Amino acid sequence: MTVHNIRHGDASDGALSEAVGGRLSRVDGPAKITGAAKYAVEQRLEGLAYAVLVESTIASGKVRAIDTTAAEAAPGVLQVLTPDTIISLRTASDWFGTPPPDKPYCPLARDITFSGQHVAAVVAETFEQAVAAAALVKVSYDETPSIVDLSDAKAGDGIPIDAMTKEWGDAQAAFASAPVRICAAYNTPREYQAPMEPHGLIARWEDDQLTVWEPSQWLDGMARTYAEWFGVPFENVRLVSPYIGGGFGSKALALSHGAVAACAARMLGRPVRLVMTRPQTFTGYGGRAATRQTVAIGADANGKIQSIVHRGVNETSIDGMWVEPLGSVTSIMYATPTFSSKQNVVRVNSVVPGAMRAPGENPSAFGIESAIDELAYEVGIDPLEIRLRNYAEQDPHAKKAWSTRQLREAFATGAERFGWFRRTPEPRSMRDGNQLIGWGVAAGTYPVRRAYGEAIVRILADGSVEVESSSIDMGQGTYTILAQTAAETVGVRADDVVVKLGDSRFPRAGVTGGSRLAGVMTGAVYKAATSALDQLVGLAISDPRSPFHALQANTLVVANGRIGSPRGDGPDVSIAELLKSVGRDHIEATGDTMPANSTSDDRYKNYTTIAMALPHTEGDYSRHSWCAHFIEVRVDEDFGTVRVSRVVSALDSGRLYNPKLAESQWKGGIIMGIGQALLEEGIMDRRHGRIVNNNLADYLVPTNADIPDIEVISVGIPDLHSSVLGGKGVGELAIVGVAPAIANAVFHATGKRIRDLPITLEKLI
Amino acid sequence: MKDFSYLRAASVDAALQAAALPGAMLLAGGTTLIDLAKCGVTEPETLVDITHLKGLNSIEVGERGATIGALARMGHVADHGDIKSRFPAVSEALWQAASAQIRNMATIGGNLMQRTRCPYFRDPANFPACNKREPGSGCSAIGGVTRGHAVLGTSNACIAMYPGDLAVALVAFDAVVHLGLRQVPVDDFFLLPGTTPNREHAIEPGEMITAIEIPGSASARRSTYLKIRDRQSYEFAAASAAVGVEFEADGRTIRDLRVALGGVATKPWRARAAEDALKGKVLEPDAVRAASLLAVEGAVDHGANHYKIELAPRVVARAILKLGETA
Amino acid sequence: MTKIHVQLDINGDHHELQLEPRVTLLDALRDRLGLTGTKKGCDHGQCGACTVHVDGERVLACLTLAAQVEGRTVTTIEGLAREGEMHPVQAAFLEQDAFQCGYCTPGQIMSAVACIREGHAGSDEEIREYMAGNLCRCGAYPHIVAAVRQAALEVQS
Repeated sequence: MTVHNIRHGDASDGALSEAVGGRLSRVDGPAKITGAAKYAVEQRLEGLAYAVLVESTIASGKVRAIDTTAAEAAPGVLQVLTPDTIISLRTASDWFGTPPPDKPYCPLARDITFSGQHVAAVVAETFEQAVAAAALVKVSYDETPSIVDLSDAKAGDGIPIDAMTKEWGDAQAAFASAPVRICAAYNTPREYQAPMEPHGLIARWEDDQLTVWEPSQWLDGMARTYAEWFGVPFENVRLVSPYIGGGFGSKALALSHGAVAACAARMLGRPVRLVMTRPQTFTGYGGRAATRQTVAIGADANGKIQSIVHRGVNETSIDGMWVEPLGSVTSIMYATPTFSSKQNVVRVNSVVPGAMRAPGENPSAFGIESAIDELAYEVGIDPLEIRLRNYAEQDPHAKKAWSTRQLREAFATGAERFGWFRRTPEPRSMRDGNQLIGWGVAAGTYPVRRAYGEAIVRILADGSVEVESSSIDMGQGTYTILAQTAAETVGVRADDVVVKLGDSRFPRAGVTGGSRLAGVMTGAVYKAATSALDQLVGLAISDPRSPFHALQANTLVVANGRIGSPRGDGPDVSIAELLKSVGRDHIEATGDTMPANSTSDDRYKNYTTIAMALPHTEGDYSRHSWCAHFIEVRVDEDFGTVRVSRVVSALDSGRLYNPKLAESQWKGGIIMGIGQALLEEGIMDRRHGRIVNNNLADYLVPTNADIPDIEVISVGIPDLHSSVLGGKGVGELAIVGVAPAIANAVFHATGKRIRDLPITLEKLI
Repeated sequence: MKDFSYLRAASVDAALQAAALPGAMLLAGGTTLIDLAKCGVTEPETLVDITHLKGLNSIEVGERGATIGALARMGHVADHGDIKSRFPAVSEALWQAASAQIRNMATIGGNLMQRTRCPYFRDPANFPACNKREPGSGCSAIGGVTRGHAVLGTSNACIAMYPGDLAVALVAFDAVVHLGLRQVPVDDFFLLPGTTPNREHAIEPGEMITAIEIPGSASARRSTYLKIRDRQSYEFAAASAAVGVEFEADGRTIRDLRVALGGVATKPWRARAAEDALKGKVLEPDAVRAASLLAVEGAVDHGANHYKIELAPRVVARAILKLGETA
Repeated sequence: MTKIHVQLDINGDHHELQLEPRVTLLDALRDRLGLTGTKKGCDHGQCGACTVHVDGERVLACLTLAAQVEGRTVTTIEGLAREGEMHPVQAAFLEQDAFQCGYCTPGQIMSAVACIREGHAGSDEEIREYMAGNLCRCGAYPHIVAAVRQAALEVQS
C-alpha cells in the first residue's frame, strides 16, 4: 500500500485501473446491464402474497370507521389489515439509539396527521387482486383543521432548536453599523428523492426468524428497528439488499410500510411483498423539508464581510422531528469577525421530512451563496473575486485548521476552464438572439462524516479473494472500490476479487449516508486485506511445507496473484499453489476500524445507530469536501424558460478511490441540483393539505434533454485526517451550490433575483 | 384496476358491435385508457382491442392532403417523410408529444381521445368532486392548484386543460375526423365543457374514429409547432402554438395564416381573431405581436395559471416570426 | 373474472400463461415469468423503466396488457445479448459508466437500441431528445449520451 506518494486527484491518480485510484469499470455493471441483477423485491418465493396500502385522504383528524366488507369479499383477498386487526408492535428506538417509550406501535394510523398516511392494507393472492380490493376499503373520518405549510397562519414561528445556534461576536451590532448591508429571504420548497426504484420489501417469517428483502442504505440499522418492533433478538432479523435502485437518503430507515408488510407476513404465515405506488412514495416517507432563510450580510465598501446574521426555519411533522441544519454552510464558507445563526422548526401536517442528498448543506448553500452574489453586485465586485476576498483560511466557527481545503484551487481551475474572465458583469449584457445568457458561480461544501466499519477478506484455495460486508452499493460504486482495495492490498487482479454486500449476515457497517461509506469501508477492507496478506506471507515464510521455507526471507511480495521474493530470486508460485502446498483451503481475516478495546456493545451501537459517528471537527482539524460550480444558463426573454447550457465544476473530495465512478456521482449531484433549481417542487392543495403532483409526470425531474455536457475536475489531494486512504466525501458534495450558481446565473442573464426555488418560467416573464 | 374481459375485434363492424355492449370500450395503444384504469378513473367491463385490425394504419399523402388511418401510430406519422415536408407542424407536434415509447404505442385515433391531465380528475380517491368524471359532483380544481389549468374555453363546471399537441395542429389546418360514414371537422369534434364537461367529443355510441384527413395547403406546408414547457422534453405544454403561413408573391404579405393554441384551453383552440388581424398585412414584428394578443381574447385565469395568458401570445408571435424568417 | 389463455413470444421463448386480462405485460414479465430485468418505476408511463421491444419497437410494458402482445414478438433486456455476446449498447454503457444504481438501466438500454435503429442518434441533441422518455435519477445522462453515440457508430459501421 502506497498511500503516501499518490499524486492528487487527476483522473488517473497515477494508478493502474485495478488499483485504488484507478478507473476500473463497475464490477457490478455486467449484472445491471443484462437484467441479471435482482433487486430486493424481485426475489421469487414460494407462496408469496401481495400487499397494497390504503392511505388517508385527509390531512388531520381521526379515522371514524373502516368498512372492509367489500374488500374482504373481493376475489383472492387473504386479509385486510386495519389499526384494529393488525398485530401490536413495540416502539423502536430512534437512530441515535435513544431508548424508546414503553408503548405499543401501530404502523396503521387511527390519528391522522397528514394526507397519505397508511390506514389499512389489503393482502391478496396476486398483485392485481390486492390493488382492486384496496380500492374497495371505505374509510370515514372526523376531520379537523390542518396546518398546511410554513405559510399557514396557524403555523406560527415554531420551536427554537438551540443546538443549531452558532454565534461569535456581536453580529447584530456589526451588521447595523456596516457600510454595506444586504438582507434577503431565500426559500426552498418540499423536494423529493424520487429514486427510480420505489420503496418496497418482501418479508418472510420462519418461526421467530424474520428475513426482509428491502432496498436499504443501512442494513444493520433497519434490522435493529425490525427486531425492536417485533421484540425478537437482533440476530433473528436478516436484511438482504444486494442492489438498491437509488436512495438519495430515503432508504436508510425502516419505515411503517415495512412494519405493515412484516406484520402481514407474520399474521398470514406466508411471505408478503409490499411495494409503494409512485404516488405513495411522496407521502410514505419524507422528502427534503421546505425551508426559509433570512441572510443579512454587513460588509465594508470593498466587500469584506463584517457580519453575517442568519435565521432559518424548516418544516417538520406534527409528531416527528426533523431538523434541516440551515446554518451549516453559512457558518463556515466565509471569514467573518461576527456571526449569528439561529433556527426554528415548524410543525405542519406532513409526513416527517427526511434526508435528501446533502440535507442541511444544500438549502444552506442556496442562502449564503445567493447572498454573497447579491453582495458582489451591491459593492460592484466580481462574484468570484468577492469569494476570494472573504476566503476562510481556517474554520471560522470551530476555529480549527482545515484538514485540507482546495477551494481556492477549485475556483481557479474552474474559472479557467469555464472562461470566467470573459464574463461581462452587467446583467442582461450577454445574449444570443432571443436567449439571454447568464454566468453564475457558487461554492459548495460537505463535512467529512466518519464512523467505523468491519469487513472479512478471504483468500480462497483457487487464489481468488472474497470480501464480505453488510454495507451496500446503490450506485456509488462500493462493489468496485472495495474490489480495488482488496486487489491492491493483497496483490491480486481486481477480476479475481468477489465483493459480497447487502446482507446483514456479513460483517457490519453503519449507515450509507453523509458520504461516509467509501472512506469507512475502504479503511476496513484495507485492514482486513492487510491482515490476510500478512497471514499468507507468514505461512509462506514459516510453514515447513512452503517452497519459500528454505529462503529464510523476512518478507515476500505478492503481485498479480503470485508470490515471490522481493529480489525476484527463488520460487515464484501462485497463491493457489502456495495454499495447496501448505494444506490450507483458505485464509480469512476480519478487519475493522473500531478503536482498540471496543466492547461488543460499542460495536452494536456503532453499526445500528449514528451515535458513535465522529464529529468532523474532532481533534485538531475541521474536515470538509469543497467545490466550485461555474454554470451558464440561457433564458428565453419571451418565455422565461431557463436551460442550463454549460457546467464546469471543480471539486475537492480528497483522494478518489475510483475517479471514473466519482465523476459519475459528482455529475449526478449536479444534475439533481439542476432539477432542484429549475423544476422540483411539491405543490400543495391548501384546502386538502395534500401534494397534488405526486407522480413523475407532474413532479418534474430533469430528463436527458435538460442536461448539457458537464465537466468535472478533481482538485483534491489525499487527506489522511479524513480517512485511512485519504478520501473525503463524494456523493453529496456536488449538489451543494448548484442551485445558487444557477440562480446567480439567472440574475446575470435577466437582472431578476429569484430567491424562491424552483426558478419556473412564470417568475421570469 | 377492476377486472375486465378482453376481446380482440376481427373487423371494424365486430369492434363496433362489441363496443356497443354496456361497459365496453375500445382499446388501441392504451396509453390513456390503461393509465386511467389504473387511476380508477375509467372502469371498463370489456376492452375491445382494435390494434390488430388490418388496414387502419395507412398514411397517404398527396397533393390534396393527407389521410391517416386511425391506428397509425404517432411515432410513425411524425417520422413520415411526406408529413414532415407537407405538414411540418403535424410532425413537430407529434415528436414533441410524450416520449418515443409512448409515441410508438399511441395511435392517431386514440390520441384524439386523450383525456385531460387535471390532477383532480385523475385522483378519484382523494378528490371525489369532478364534473368531468361524475356530472354534478362539482369541480375540485376551481380554488385548488390551477397552474396547469385552462384559461380559454372554461366554464363554472370545469377548467381542465386539453393536453394534446397533434389536435392543435389539426385544428389549425381544418382537419376532419372520419367516424366511419360520418365526417366531423376537428374543431367540432372537441366539445367545450359548458355544463357537460363529461362529454368531450362529438362521437356517438356505436362510432369509432377510422381516419383523419388533413387538407393540403400552402400554409400547412410552411408551418411549425412551437411548444413551451418547464422541462425540455416529456412534458405537456405550458403553452404551444401551431402556426402556418402563406405569403403573397412578394414574400412578405400574408395571404393565409393559421393559428391554434395548445396548453391553454379546454380544447384545441383555433385563434381566428389573430389570423384575421394579420391576413393581408405585411409580416412585421410589432404587428405580429399585437395580433398575437388577440389569440387569448376572453381568457380567464384562476390565479396560478395567469402566466399562460402572458405566455401564449408570445409563443404565437415567435412561431409566426420564425416562419417569416424562412420566407 | 375468468382467466384467459395467453401465449407470449419473449426473447425467442414461447410461454403459455393463464392470466386475468388486466395483467400488464410488465407484471406478467416480472411476477409470472421471473423476467425482472424490466423494471417498474411508476406504472403509469412516466419514467420509461419498463421499456421493452414489441415487434422490434420500443414500448412501455406498464401500459401494455399482456394479452395485447399475443402474436407479437417481445424482446426484453434479458434477450438482448446474443449467444453471450453483449450488445454494443450494453458494452458502451459499461465503458462509459452510463448508470449508477442500475434500476433505469435496462429501460435505457432497450430505448437506446431502438433509438439507434430508428435513426434518431444522429447528434447529441437528437439523442438527448429521443432518450428523454427514460428518466435517470442518479443523473447518468451525459454518459448515456456518450454511450449511445459510441454504440451508434459501432452499429452503423
